[in-house]
Amino acid sequence: MTVPTPQTTSSRSIAGRIIAAAALALLLSALLAGSLASLAAASEPTASESAAPTVAGEPAVGETVEEEFDVAKEFEREVLVALPSVGPVDLSITKGVAYLLITLGVICVGAFAVNRGVKMQPGRFQVMMEAIYSLTRDGIVGSVMKSGQETWFPYIGSAFVFILVSNLVGLIPLPFAEGHQLSFYSATANLNVAIMLALCTFLFTHYAGIRKNGLARYLVNWAPASAPTVLKPPIWAIHAISEIFRLVSLSVRLFANMVAGHAILAVFFAMAVVFQSFLASVVLQGGSTLIYLFEVFVAFIQAFIFAILSAVYIGGALDQDH
Amino acid sequence: MDAEAAKFMGAGIAMGVGALGPGLGLGLMIGKALESIARQPEVSGEIRTTMFIGIGVTEAVALYAFVVALILLFVA
Repeated sequence: MTVPTPQTTSSRSIAGRIIAAAALALLLSALLAGSLASLAAASEPTASESAAPTVAGEPAVGETVEEEFDVAKEFEREVLVALPSVGPVDLSITKGVAYLLITLGVICVGAFAVNRGVKMQPGRFQVMMEAIYSLTRDGIVGSVMKSGQETWFPYIGSAFVFILVSNLVGLIPLPFAEGHQLSFYSATANLNVAIMLALCTFLFTHYAGIRKNGLARYLVNWAPASAPTVLKPPIWAIHAISEIFRLVSLSVRLFANMVAGHAILAVFFAMAVVFQSFLASVVLQGGSTLIYLFEVFVAFIQAFIFAILSAVYIGGALDQDH
Repeated sequence: MDAEAAKFMGAGIAMGVGALGPGLGLGLMIGKALESIARQPEVSGEIRTTMFIGIGVTEAVALYAFVVALILLFVA
């Protein structure tokens, strides 16, 4: 009689089951709760305020239209917990800082949880963490960078995990808006955080290139040696501009994806209530769930794209004659 | 036409016209990815990865237009 081999379900089927279960639960709960709410709302003249989550700054649906959705408010600092400044650095906790701390907490809890009882036959959580690790190491750094893989894998992996967790935390409505209303926000939906991440990639790119090739040779290689000499200055100028523009593109891509996602989510969820019609509410709850799943997908994609573009830039600076 | 109306029109035109290019580019790129996966299914993993990178970079251009529209509406 042979020993039955343990059937470890593959990580892909586990992920598929998790996504299916989450989608089903979301859909059912949204349908149930929203149908009750909209039935109640359809019998009243005004819609309920607290049912619809809002983007930061947007008043709850049903209030007067004198207050508009003001994106400029996202760029204002509103202090939650006032702490003293240390020199020029103001340490008070704003909404962005609070979300950064939440992201940090989630990452630390996850990291400690996966490190307790690491087994040779991994459980499901460990399989998921190992999948993230091997995706970053083989899929991102290994497949794109020709040299310096071991040196730069920690940075790329940290950036990937941080942006991934921050984007996913941004899909949980938390009561940080004014008046403790629920809103969608995340650390990466803050332009400052996005700029800092892009700045890290930018600085590491040039640091890696300069350390390997020396400053003069690194800069000279921006115009490839195989180009005709007459064309070298324009090519060099274009390459320099594109290198500077990488700061803008990396940060704005991440920031705008997150802000647009949160705005779309708020609009869809609010539409399900604002029309005060039961049929529209049911249809829009289905749409809200679909767009919520799409936002989860976008969260993964944006983290992946930031990581792989950082790997491409750093790898390109290390091997300058592609 | 006063400034407010011009801002609203500018924001609408910015986002509308700014979505044409990336939409076209995305469709072309994903179509080509489909064709190449159909031709050679064993490299579909690499193709899919490169396609996602291309999608991210192309959608960023549409998001630049979105940011310009937001600036026109709320900051200027």
